[in-house]
Amino acid sequence: MLQQLLFRLNKNSIANMKYALFLSFLSGMNVLMAQEGDSLSVLKMDELIISGQYNPQTVNKSIYEVRVINREMIDRQAGNNLADLLNQTLNMNIIPNANTGKSGVQMFGLDSQYFKILVDNIPLINDEGLGNNTDLTQINLDDVQQIEIVEGSMGVEYGANAISGIINIITKKSVQHKWVISPMIQEETVGKEYNWRNQGRHIQSLKVDHNISDRLFANVTYTRNDFMGFWNDYHGKFHLENDGKRGFEWLPKRQHTAKGILRYKHDNYQLFYKLEFFNEGIKRYSNEVLQNYDPATETDQPVGSDAKFKTHRWVHHLNASGRFEDVVNYDFSFSLQQQKRAVEQFQYDLRKDEKFDALSQIYESRKGYYSKGNFSNFIENKTFDFQMGYEFSVMDGYASSLAGTFADPINKKLENYDVFASSEITLSKKLSLRPGARVLFSPQFDNQVAWSMSAKYLFEKGYELRAILGSSPRLPNYEELYSYFVDVNHNVQGNPNLKPEQGKSAFLHLKKQFDFQPNAALQSKVSAWYIDVKDKIDLVVVEVAPLAYSYRNINAYKTFGFTWTNNIRYNDFTAGMGVTYAGVSQELEAQSNQKADFLFAAQFNVNASYPVPTTKTVFSAFVKYNGPINQFVQRQNELNETVFIKGRQDGFTWFDASIKQRFLQDKLEVTAGARNLMNIKSINTTATNAGAHDAAASTLMLGYGRSYFLKLLYKINL
Amino acid sequence: MKIFKSLLILFVLLSQISCNDNDAVASQDFVIAFKEQSVDFSTIENSKTIQLTFSEKAAYAGSVTLNWTADQATYNTDFETFPNASSGQLTLDFAAGAAGVSFEFKNLIFPFDRSDKAVTFKITSINYGAPAVIQGYSSLLVSFDRAIGGTVLPDVGGPNQPNQVFVDLSTNQVVLSRRDLWDFGFYSGSEDRVVLNGSLYMAATALDQNNIDAVTPASVQGLINQVAVGTFDPTNENYIDDPKGDISETAIAEISANTADNKVYLVNMGYEIGTATPPVGSVAIAGASRGFKKIQIQKTAAGYKLLYANLEDTTHREMDIQKRPDYNFTFVSVTNHNQPQVEPLKDKWDLCFTVFTNVIPGNGSYGYSDFVLFNRKAGVKMYQVNTTQVSYANFNASHLEEQRFVLDQRVIGADWRDVFTGGAFTDRFYILKDTDGNVYKIKMLSMINTSGWRGYPSFEYRLVE
Repeated sequence: MLQQLLFRLNKNSIANMKYALFLSFLSGMNVLMAQEGDSLSVLKMDELIISGQYNPQTVNKSIYEVRVINREMIDRQAGNNLADLLNQTLNMNIIPNANTGKSGVQMFGLDSQYFKILVDNIPLINDEGLGNNTDLTQINLDDVQQIEIVEGSMGVEYGANAISGIINIITKKSVQHKWVISPMIQEETVGKEYNWRNQGRHIQSLKVDHNISDRLFANVTYTRNDFMGFWNDYHGKFHLENDGKRGFEWLPKRQHTAKGILRYKHDNYQLFYKLEFFNEGIKRYSNEVLQNYDPATETDQPVGSDAKFKTHRWVHHLNASGRFEDVVNYDFSFSLQQQKRAVEQFQYDLRKDEKFDALSQIYESRKGYYSKGNFSNFIENKTFDFQMGYEFSVMDGYASSLAGTFADPINKKLENYDVFASSEITLSKKLSLRPGARVLFSPQFDNQVAWSMSAKYLFEKGYELRAILGSSPRLPNYEELYSYFVDVNHNVQGNPNLKPEQGKSAFLHLKKQFDFQPNAALQSKVSAWYIDVKDKIDLVVVEVAPLAYSYRNINAYKTFGFTWTNNIRYNDFTAGMGVTYAGVSQELEAQSNQKADFLFAAQFNVNASYPVPTTKTVFSAFVKYNGPINQFVQRQNELNETVFIKGRQDGFTWFDASIKQRFLQDKLEVTAGARNLMNIKSINTTATNAGAHDAAASTLMLGYGRSYFLKLLYKINL
Repeated sequence: MKIFKSLLILFVLLSQISCNDNDAVASQDFVIAFKEQSVDFSTIENSKTIQLTFSEKAAYAGSVTLNWTADQATYNTDFETFPNASSGQLTLDFAAGAAGVSFEFKNLIFPFDRSDKAVTFKITSINYGAPAVIQGYSSLLVSFDRAIGGTVLPDVGGPNQPNQVFVDLSTNQVVLSRRDLWDFGFYSGSEDRVVLNGSLYMAATALDQNNIDAVTPASVQGLINQVAVGTFDPTNENYIDDPKGDISETAIAEISANTADNKVYLVNMGYEIGTATPPVGSVAIAGASRGFKKIQIQKTAAGYKLLYANLEDTTHREMDIQKRPDYNFTFVSVTNHNQPQVEPLKDKWDLCFTVFTNVIPGNGSYGYSDFVLFNRKAGVKMYQVNTTQVSYANFNASHLEEQRFVLDQRVIGADWRDVFTGGAFTDRFYILKDTDGNVYKIKMLSMINTSGWRGYPSFEYRLVE
C-alpha cells in the first residue's frame, strides 16, 4: 500500500522511490478494494507497525509482539475515544470513575500508573502525568489510522512507567485524493436515555484532508463530543429535596478536540508538525442539597455545592525522520505539551438560579517539553543493526490541595534525561536477537537502568517463537511523595525519599498461521507471561503510638498467565477468539498475617464480522467475558485486628454489535449498533479494602447499560 | 435500507421519551415572620428591638401590619412601641431590597412590679407586590414565662470552632466563651474533682511522684507519646475525662484530704485553637501543640490548692481555688495564671456547643468537632426520638417517656451531623428536660452556613406542652 511504500522510502534510495511511487499509483484501486474487504487486522501479516521498531515494519518481522487495532475495527465499534474501544481487549479493563468523569485502564491488574499512552511514538500529556494516568475518554480517535498495543515492560524503548505495556496511537498522515472532506455525526443513547436537549451522547466532527502538493499534506479535524451524563435514578441540577438524588449518576461532559497536521516529505526525509487542542468541561452537582430551612418563616433556601471542571490541552509535535548521507537513519521528535485542569467551586441557590461564593483555581496541571531522537541503520548490514537514542522530558507539575491530601499546593519539576541503545542481531534466517539498555537520569531520583532482551526464532513449518524480557521503573507519584494529612487524630505523610518501583516482565509467544485453502486461514498464538513489580509503594503504619502512616517501598506484585488467541478467515468472514488465564499475587511485607497466594481469573473474547457479498453490509459482533476476580483484602475483625479475607468481584460480559453499510457510491457510511447488550451497570464486589475512614464498597460501577448508536459519515473526495 | 430507515425512526422516537426532568424549580411565596417566638420580659430593661425577618430580600417595597393584645398590661403604662401602636395596630414599611423590618418595644415597668404581664404581637396582613403569606413565627409573646421555642444559631465561630457556646432554652439566652480561656475545671459539687479542658484535646496521667519539682522531661520521657488524644491506643481512654460526663470518672483521681495521696500529674496541654483556613466544609480545630505541664492538687477548706509548673521547671507556682456552689466549676488557666468566667450559672444553661474529646470504642480517645453536650452536672436530662415513632412537629406531652431520659451528656453528641453533606440527620430529634422541669423538643438543622463553611450550627426548639 501507498503508505507502506512511503515508509520504506526511508530505507531505500531515490531511484527506488520513484519506482515505488509509480507502483503506488498503479495499486491505487487495489488499495481501496483491499480496505473494503479487509476486516481483521491480524491476518494481514504485512500490516506496518511502529511501536518498538527501528523502522516501520510488518508485524511478522517484528521481534516484539505487537497487537494492532486498525481503522476498520475502530469504525465497526464506532469508537470515538479510546475508552469506547478497549473494553474488548484481553488483559485489559476499563475502569470508569463516575465521580470525576475519567476512565482509566487496568492492564494485567496494574492501574494506569504502570502503563503508557503514546501518540505517534511520543507520550501524551494529561493533567496528572506524561503518558500515565491518562483519561481514556480524552483521547479522540477521529484522525487515527491504527492503535498498537505492546504488552510487557518497555523501559528501553519508552522509559519509566511502562511496566505493564504501552498503547501507541498512530495517526493518519496521507490520503489518496487531492481533497477529502468528511463530516460525521454520531448519536448515542446513554442507557435508555436519549433526547436532543439534555440526554444521550451527541458527537459531530469534520475532517478535511488535503494534498497541497505531491510533497505536502495537511489535515484538520474537529470533533465535538457532548455526553449529557447518565441520569439513572438521579434528578439533575434542579432537584430540591435532600435525598441524595440531585445531580447525575455519571457527570455530564462536553469535549472539543481540534487537531491539525502538516506533513512534508522529501526524497530522503520527511517532516511533520502536529497541533492538537483539547477542551473539556465537566459539571459536578452535589448529590446533597443544603436546605437552609428557616423555622421562623417556614421557608427554605436549597443550596447545592457544585463545581465546574475545565480542562485544556495543547500539544505541539514536530518530527523529522529520514536517512542522512547513507550513513545513518534518524528520527527526531520535539514536543511542547500542556494540560491544565481548572476548577470553579461554588454554591448554587436552586430557587434563585444563582451561584455565589465562587472560587476558581487550577486543580492540577502538567506542562513541559519533550524530545526523543533515534539513530539507526549506521551501516547497511543484513545481520546487524544498531540503534541509539535519547529521550528528554522536563515537566512542571502542579497539584492543588484539592487534588490530593496535600497541606499546600504541590509545584514540582520532574526532569528525565535518558539515553538508550539496542541492537538487532540476525544470527541466522531463523534466529534474531535484540538486547537493549537504557539509563534514566533524573535530578529527582537515583539513576535508573532499564534493560531488555528479546529473541525471535522461526521454526520449520511456519512456527514463530518470540521471547521478550524487559524492565521499567515506575516513578513515585505526588500522593506518595508529598501527602500531608496531620491533625489530632490522624497522621498520614508522604515520603520524599521513596525510590522508583522496579518492574520486569517476561513474555513468550508461539505463533503459527495455517492456510487451509486459498480463501481460509487460521492464525493461532499461545502466550505465557510473567510480570513482577518490586519495591511496590504502599501506605503502611510506620509508628504505632501515636499511630502514623507513610509510604514505603515495601510490597511486591506478581502476575503470570497464559493467553491463547486465534484469528480465522473464511472468504469474507473473519473472526477472532481469545482466552486468558492469569494469577495475581500481592505481597504486603508490612503485614505478618498476609496472604500472598496466587489468585486466578479468566477472560475470553470473541469477535466476528461478515460482509454480505451482495450488499456489502458488514455485520459485526464483539463479546468479552471478564471472569470473577478474587483478591485478598484487608478488613477489621470484631477484635479490631487487621485480617485478610478473600474478596470476590463478580464476572461480567461486554457485548457490542453493529451493522455498517455504505450508500451513494460509498460516499455515505452508516453504522448502527448497540453497546453493552448485556445491560451491565455495576457488579457486586467484596474485593475492596476498607479504609480507616470509609467502609468497603459493595458495588463497582462499570457502565450505563444497553445503549444504541447511529453514526453517519459522509466522505467527499475531490 | 429498511433497517436503517427503521433505525432512524427509532432514534426520532427515542428522542421524544424520557423527559422527566425539570429545567427550573418552583418559587416560594414571600413570607414575613417574627425572628423569635417569645421574649423574656424580665430581660428588657429599657427597650428591645423586635425583629421581623423576610424569607428572602424584598423584591418590592411594601408594608406589614401587626396588632397586639395585652394580658394584665396597658399601653403607655406598662409598655409602648415605636412606631406608636396605641390604636392596637402597627404598620411597618419596607423598601425593595430589605431583608427585614423592626420596631422598638419599650418597657415602662422596670424595675418590675409584678411578673404576670404579657403582650402578644401578631402579623395580620402583608402589603406586597407579589403573593405573600403569613406563616411560621407569625406571633410574638413578651412575657415573664418560659420561652415557647425558637431558632438558635450558636456562634461556634466557623471552621476553627474557637467558641464554646452555652444555650439556655427557657430564657432563649446564649453565652459564649473562647475554648482556650481555661485549662482545668475545679468541681463545685460535693466531690473533690478536677476536669481537663477536653475542647483543647488535653490528656493527663498520674506520676509515681509527690514532689512536683522533682519531675523533669527526662523522668516522663516514655509517657510523652502515650499521653495524648487520637493515638488509636484503646488504653488512652485513661488519660481523658469520662466522655459521658460522669464526674466520678475523671482522668485526675479524686483529690484526697490526705496530702500524700495526691500525686503529681503529667498533663498534655493539647492544642491551641487552629488558625488555618481549611477547605470549605472541613475544620481546622487544632493549632500548635501547647506542650506538657506538671500539676499537683491538694484539698483546702474552701476548695483546692493547685501547684503547677512547666515540665523543665524546678520550681512551681501555686493558686487557691474556691468552690462556687452556683456554678458547676471554677475554671483555671495555668497559661494565663487566672480564673476566668466560662460557664453561666449552672441552672442557666442546658446545651453546650463545643469541640470535645470523645472515645471511639476500641480505638481510644478521638478529637471531635461540632459536638453538643447537655448540662448533666446541673441535672439536665435528654433522650433521642426517631421520626419513625413520631415526627418532630407532632411530638407533644403525651409522647413523653420519662424512663427514656439518660444522663450521658452525649445524647446529641456528634451523631446529629452528616459530615459529608454538612446537614443534620433528619430522622431524629431530641427531648430535653431542664432543671426547672421544662420539656423542650430540639431539632438540629445544619452545621454549615449557606457558603458551606463548617462551625455554623443551627437548631430549632419548641416547648412540649
